[in-house]
Order: sequence, then structure tokens, then C-alpha cells
Amino acid sequence: MSAISLRQRLPEGLGIPLIVFASTAFLVAVIKLISPGSVLAQQIEAILVTAIFLVIASFGQGLAILLGGIDLSIGVVMGLAGMMISGLTNGADAALGWAVPATLASCAAIGVFNGLGIALAGIPPFIMTLASGSIFFGVGLGFTAGAAQRPVAPALQKLMSGHFFGLPLPVLLLAAFALAAMAFQNGSVEGRRLYAIGSNAKAARIVGLPIYPLTVAVYGISGLCAGIAGVLLAGYASAATLDMGDPFLMPTIAAVVIGGARVTGGRGLYLGTFAGALFLSVLETIITVLSLSQGLRDIIEGAIIVIALLLQTAPAKKRY
Amino acid sequence: MKIAVKIGRALGGGAPFATVVCLVMYAVYAARAPSALSIFGITNVLNDAVVLAIGSAGLTLVILAGEFDLSGVGVIAIANVLVATTSGASGFGALGSLALVLAIGLLVGTVNGVLVAFFQLQSLAATIGTMIACEGVALLILPAPGGEVSDKIATGLTGDLAGVIPVALLILGGFAAAWFVFKRTSLGVAIYATGADAQAARLSGIDLRRTRLAAFMLAGLCYAFAGYMLSAETGTGDPRVSSALLLFMYAAVAIGGTSLSGGKGGVFGSLVGAGILTVLQKMLFALGVAEFYTNIFNGIVMIFALLFGNIVSSLAGPLRRQVAK
Repeated sequence: MSAISLRQRLPEGLGIPLIVFASTAFLVAVIKLISPGSVLAQQIEAILVTAIFLVIASFGQGLAILLGGIDLSIGVVMGLAGMMISGLTNGADAALGWAVPATLASCAAIGVFNGLGIALAGIPPFIMTLASGSIFFGVGLGFTAGAAQRPVAPALQKLMSGHFFGLPLPVLLLAAFALAAMAFQNGSVEGRRLYAIGSNAKAARIVGLPIYPLTVAVYGISGLCAGIAGVLLAGYASAATLDMGDPFLMPTIAAVVIGGARVTGGRGLYLGTFAGALFLSVLETIITVLSLSQGLRDIIEGAIIVIALLLQTAPAKKRY
Repeated sequence: MKIAVKIGRALGGGAPFATVVCLVMYAVYAARAPSALSIFGITNVLNDAVVLAIGSAGLTLVILAGEFDLSGVGVIAIANVLVATTSGASGFGALGSLALVLAIGLLVGTVNGVLVAFFQLQSLAATIGTMIACEGVALLILPAPGGEVSDKIATGLTGDLAGVIPVALLILGGFAAAWFVFKRTSLGVAIYATGADAQAARLSGIDLRRTRLAAFMLAGLCYAFAGYMLSAETGTGDPRVSSALLLFMYAAVAIGGTSLSGGKGGVFGSLVGAGILTVLQKMLFALGVAEFYTNIFNGIVMIFALLFGNIVSSLAGPLRRQVAK
């Protein structure tokens, strides 16, 4: 009886995130098995620190996918954010006060540009974000071509390696971000509206939901998140390159979908995206620990993504 | 007016507009570089376009069926390294390696198709997995750029017949002709129907699973052949050469007027879309535009092609209805 009422109280689709969390825990256990010498707490800490980029960037991707769209400019925006923050601060903390807002505002502006093209001009999200990625990569190349690489402000590097009450700062940031993201996507009125638009845009229009402003806002948030991820990545790597965000683009999509979202929109919890991002980060770590050749790593990673997808369709099928 | 609509329909969707854009850009290019009008210049452009064109032709089939496929670059990478390692005298020769490459393409397409059609995986996500795995296989076959493509392939497929007809033109023409036949076959019609409205297609007796599987398998064959042509083009193997192609393939499909939500468009448009992207690079280079601007122009052309496509189809909509009356 109580089990039934509990299930009713749980949001729909919570099963998949839980499966993904369980698989993630399993992978962590595998790490312990294959390298018994490592200290588990340290391993988990290291995984969480490197997971922050994917967790933050895939929130924006998740919102875009929730609307039935996609954001292919995330990789480029991450690279631009890193280049911009290192170019503006040039190794000095003093400039951070205005450089961070300026960088994040530019990234959000790219997102808004995407949103306007999609909402007002009716360009398919796939093409709009692909095209804007190409355009702004070109702009970034124009600004940075031939310029010497500049160091990132030391405060940012400290942020990514510092501790607070024994916990690494990035892990605290990660937790705070995940909570805020969950509150927005699955706890706010705006979040509910996004689900409504994603599952049936026509009905949402008839009901009078502000589709255009919300679409622009979603892509703006996605740009902003990619910007934050890029700034943190630059701090973590203590340097930035224009293409450093590229390896994150496909994983953001994979994280969202592994977490149980539907590519056509309207379904998927942020908890799922979060679980997917952690899963992929652990997978990346495990494959690095195995010290295999790059070819074998790719094969294992590709196969595990497919297996993860197969696992989550099994319970979904039983329901219907 | 009837005739114009008929021609428009024959070319399929947004293709007429794209064709005009392509020709205009080629004219600008030719004005700056007169060699563009020689047989050598034309062969050169066609060789640059053919890999993207065939790859996006395959992708178009999957997109028409209402699915996504990112595995194309993975298949192209495997094909490229296989040709570079097996086409020589000690390997299988030109035809043997072609057969091998096509078999691999068919295999990957089948895996994709089975995952999507029979296990109901979302195609965008499943093919991210197969793409990464395929790139891994390519790296295992050839960890670093190298290998050698046999001369038969490298010169035979990139030259011209009797100094008159570029081989690439024959191949592209063959693809276009095959497409005009294919889209009238029952499988071709089934692919359109599945992409336009899967529910309605199922109710009218179309086997959705077989149709989707077939679309992925044919796409796999196309990617493999694109990889074969890429090898002829570069004369060497590089497991990472194709990663930049992925987004270009989607751009070519979209510029060619195929709807990414399925059921609308056609392969011919994608061939023209690939032509536009190739000629654009040539034109900008001939005009002396700095390299980073090419990225910007690529993006702008994509957006404008879509915008004009929208406008043209919204104008053509009422027109078509009138004609139908």
C-alpha cells in the first residue's frame, strides 16, 4: 500500500535515472577492482571534479532537447568562453570582476541569437545552432589567429583546485548547480511550461504559453551554461584553446538521452541528465585507468553507450 | 506556371533554389579563376564535392525515414583506413577493397538499423555510440595517418575519361539517376511515408521496421563508398580525417531542402547542397577571403538557405494548391 502511494508520489520516469545511477556506482566499483591500489574516495573526488564541465553543459543541452530542439553550438561556445576569459584576464585576478560577466554575457548572447533564429525565423534548431557554431568559431578564429596564448587568471585555477571544509570546491559547485538545475527544470512553473511546449507545441500555443520568449530563454541558458563550463574548463586546464570544447558536444547529447529524455522533446528529468553526465564521466575515467589504446577505448565507450540505451528501453517496454 | 511547378517537383523540394545558388557562386568563382571552366578545373571541383555528396546522399535516406544517423563519419573513417591498408598489390586490389569496404558499411548500417528499428533506440543517441565505436575500429586498423592507396584507385577515380568527362561526374550522375529510379520504387515510397507520418504509414500496410532497417543499410553502403572516394582523393589513410565531415553532411542535407523531421526532400537536393558547400569554399578562396571567414560564410549560407527554403515553400504552398484545383 505504502509502496504504491510512494510510486505515485515519485515523478514519472524516475526509474531511468535510478538505473543510470546504479550503473554509475557499478562502474565506480569496477574502477576499485581494476586498480586496487587507488583510494576510492580520491577516485570519486577526481571523477566529480572532471564531471563538472559535462554536468553544467548538458543542463543547457537537456533544456533544448526538452523543447524538441538541440544545441550543437555548445562545444564552440565552451571554447570561446575559455579563450575570452584567458584573453581578458591575461593572468591577472584584477580583471576577473568584469571579465567573467562579460564572457558569460557574450556566451548567453550567442544562445539568444540561436533562440531568435529558431523562434522567430523558424530555422530548425539543428541547423541554426550548427550554423551559429560555425559562424562564431570563425569570429573566434579571427580574433585569436596569430595571437599568443594567454594564461588564465590564477584565482580561477585556485577555484578548480581549492578545498572548502575538506571538500573540493568544484564538487560543492557541482552539487549547488545540480540542485539549482533540478529546481528549475522539475520544480518551477517555467520548467513545467517547457515540458508542455516540448510534448505538444500546438496545444501549448492554444493555451497561450509564451513559446517564443521561453525558446529564446532556453537557448540563452544553454549558451550561458556552455560559457560557465568553458570558463571552469579554462581554469582547470590553466589554459584555453578554441577547440577545447569540441569533445564535450556529443557527450552532452549522450548524457541527456542516456538519462531518459526523448529526442523529440517533452520527456526526461534533470536528475536523468545529471546521472547520464556522471555515468559518462566515470566511463571516461575507467577507460583511462585501463590504459588501453585510443582505438579500444573508443570501441568500449561506444559499446557501453549503446548498452546503456538498451538497458533503459527494457523497463520502458514492460510498462506499455 | 504548371511546368515550373512540375520541374520543381521533379527536382524535389528546395533543390531548384539551391541549384541556382550553386550556379551563381560557380559563376563568381569562374570570373575570378578562369581555369574553373576548363575540364581540369571542373574535375577538380567535382572531386572535392564527391565525398560529401555521396555521404550526404546516404544520410538523406535515413533523414527522409524520420531518423538521424551520426555514424557516417565512423564508416567513412573505417573505409578510408581499410583502403589505405588493403588496396595495394599485397592486399585485395582495387575491387577487392571496394567489396570489403561496402561489406563493412552494410554491416554498420545493419547494426544501426536493428538498434533503431527492432530495439526502438533513439537513432540520434544509438548512432553516437556506433560512431564512436567505428572511429575506434578505424584507429585500431591504422593508429596513425599513413598507408597507401593503390594507384588504380587514386588516379582512376579522380581523373577524366578521354579528357572529356570527369569520373566524379559519372559517379554523381549515377547517384542522381539511381535516386530518380529509387524514389519511385516501393521502398522509396515507404521511406517517404515512414518519415512523413509513421502511424499512417503503418496503417496503410508499410512495414516500418523493415523500411527503417533498409534506410540505415543503404546509408551504410553510401558512407562506405564515400570513404572509398575519399581514399582515392587523398591517396592515403587517416583515421581522423572524416570528423569534420559530420556537420557538413547535415548542412548539405538541410541546404538541399530536406526536412530534418523526415518525409520531405530528396537525395538530389543533398547532392546540390554538397556542391554549394564545396563551391563556396572555392569561391571564397578565389576571392582572397581569409580562411576564418569561410567558417562564418558557411554558417551564414546555411541559415540563408534555410530561410529562403522556408519562404519559397510558403509561397509555393498556395500555388500548388491552385494547380491541384
